[in-house]
Amino acid sequence: MLAQRKPGFLNRLYLIEVIRGLAITMKNFLFHKKVTLQFPEQRRDYSGRYRGQHYIKSVNGVENCTACMLCPTVCPAECIHIVAGEREDKEKYPVKFEIDSLRCCFCGMCEEACPKDAIKLSNIYEMSQKNRTVYEKDFLLEQRGNK
Amino acid sequence: MPKCFIDGKEVEFNPGENLVKVAKRAGVEIPVFCYHPGLSVVAQCRMCYVEVEKMPKLQTACSTMAAEGMVVKTQSEAVKKGRQGTMEFLLLNHPLDCPICDKAGECDLQDNSFGHGSATMRHGEERRTYVDVDMGPVIQKNMNRCIHCTRCIRFGDEIAGIHEMVAIKRGNNIDITTIDGKQLKTEYAGNYSDICPTGSLTLKDFRFKKRAWMLKKTATVCEGCSKGCNMEVQHEGNVIYRCIPRENLEINKFWMCDEGRFNYRYTQDEARVVDPKLRGPEGPKTAAWQDVIATVESKIRNGEVLFLVGTDLTNEELSAIREASTALRSGIQIRTFGTPGVTRTTEDGPADNILKMKSKTSNLNGAEKLGLEPLTGDARAETVIVFRGGRAGIPKIEAKWTAGVGVFTREESSGFDSVLPGLAFTEKEGTITNHSGVEQRLARAVRPKGTCKPVSEILMSLLNIKSKAGQA
Repeated sequence: MLAQRKPGFLNRLYLIEVIRGLAITMKNFLFHKKVTLQFPEQRRDYSGRYRGQHYIKSVNGVENCTACMLCPTVCPAECIHIVAGEREDKEKYPVKFEIDSLRCCFCGMCEEACPKDAIKLSNIYEMSQKNRTVYEKDFLLEQRGNK
Repeated sequence: MPKCFIDGKEVEFNPGENLVKVAKRAGVEIPVFCYHPGLSVVAQCRMCYVEVEKMPKLQTACSTMAAEGMVVKTQSEAVKKGRQGTMEFLLLNHPLDCPICDKAGECDLQDNSFGHGSATMRHGEERRTYVDVDMGPVIQKNMNRCIHCTRCIRFGDEIAGIHEMVAIKRGNNIDITTIDGKQLKTEYAGNYSDICPTGSLTLKDFRFKKRAWMLKKTATVCEGCSKGCNMEVQHEGNVIYRCIPRENLEINKFWMCDEGRFNYRYTQDEARVVDPKLRGPEGPKTAAWQDVIATVESKIRNGEVLFLVGTDLTNEELSAIREASTALRSGIQIRTFGTPGVTRTTEDGPADNILKMKSKTSNLNGAEKLGLEPLTGDARAETVIVFRGGRAGIPKIEAKWTAGVGVFTREESSGFDSVLPGLAFTEKEGTITNHSGVEQRLARAVRPKGTCKPVSEILMSLLNIKSKAGQA
């Protein structure tokens, strides 16, 4: 619907409307709680369920992951690549565990599918990078969350 | 034909058929572990319980023969409870290591537990564990997962003809192992992994390579010998991970030998020539396809030319070569080669009393039916072109100039002046005729490696050059 133009000279000047608008701006500026943060100094507290940067949980230095491939199976973005292998202390472990972070859509399905409580999405949301980033296994094994 | 009723459905049966088979025909799947259609019936897993009217207790469907007018219920409360109880017993000692297990995704125990078991368990005691013996290069054993169906014992005894697996000790301490812990000797060991309903016996070759559900499956035929066993090529991302037998009661039943099972390896061998080569002063060098084709064309234009064709090629390729040889010029001789000592179907025969045949190439019968003559003695000509599918044993060649068309390793083609890489049996379509005259279809599972081309395309390019030269 088109805005109706009110008749009369004063109305055609729009002065009253401009002042009204300014009043709303000033009211919000002076008396309302700020919605923005001064980012690098101030940090927002996200809920524990926030899905940020990935990590693989390890217990006593041994990764929980057994390379069962359920996360790459369920991943809708197909961003997880695992190569399984065998070693002395663990029958099956991921030799290679890569997450293409630019393909990842942070849906958290991998976390949900994991039978071994291994892959987790942490609270970290500062993930900007200059170039395409693939998270390698060593990087993922840093315990950056407490899930 | 006599009739019986399964879940209210009237089904005809042949006398002597058991209820699992009859029910399958009626569209009712009865869960089984120890029963296998290719093996004898022992009825010891107790999973296939059905209720038969006028019989006081639940019956095992695998050992109960259908009878006239029999009324069988497979979905009654008593049956469901019986199966659930059986499942609970079978899982008492089964470790929950499906994430590690290679069988996961195609596991009978998983499927039946999901379909007929209970979601909770009442048992909290420690599970028994075993130390596993090495079973040789084919099979990896994990006794912890075993449910003692004894399919493997019966397979060795009845099919492979060597009783090498036994059940030692009894009761809770039962151990299914080889006699004296020796390695498996049979050449059909891969089947142990196929018939095992759990992950107790898995293929070492496939260990941790891929999960079963990720693989794409292509139904094709084995080209390991003239038997023509039906098999399934399982691949993902243009890489073949394993081959398993397909059921064909007329040819291979449910089985397949290890040679055929692992035959696919040569198709993705590092040493396979996948780009056209021409011999230069310093040995074979990669060249452009048109240069190689032009060189071959100029070599076969004059002189005595012999086409050596492998009996591992498909009927289509063989007949294309025959047609092209007359179209290219008159006087080109064609001789087949394959397994040394087995040049005709009359010399072919069973190599053992299970599946293997003497001819190690798949299409000896097809080549003979096309009227191609086998090579006798060495190949002697001015120019020899070898067409080969990948398995035929290359005979001794005495020629001024030799070229190979098909699948060769670098070593095999080291004496050749040129190689025109062709397609392996997993990369092409075609038909092969087995020893008894059954024509079967090869299916294309993966894309060709490198710049490999089909034989028909290579022959067409040769003919094109010739017709252009004729016009000029």
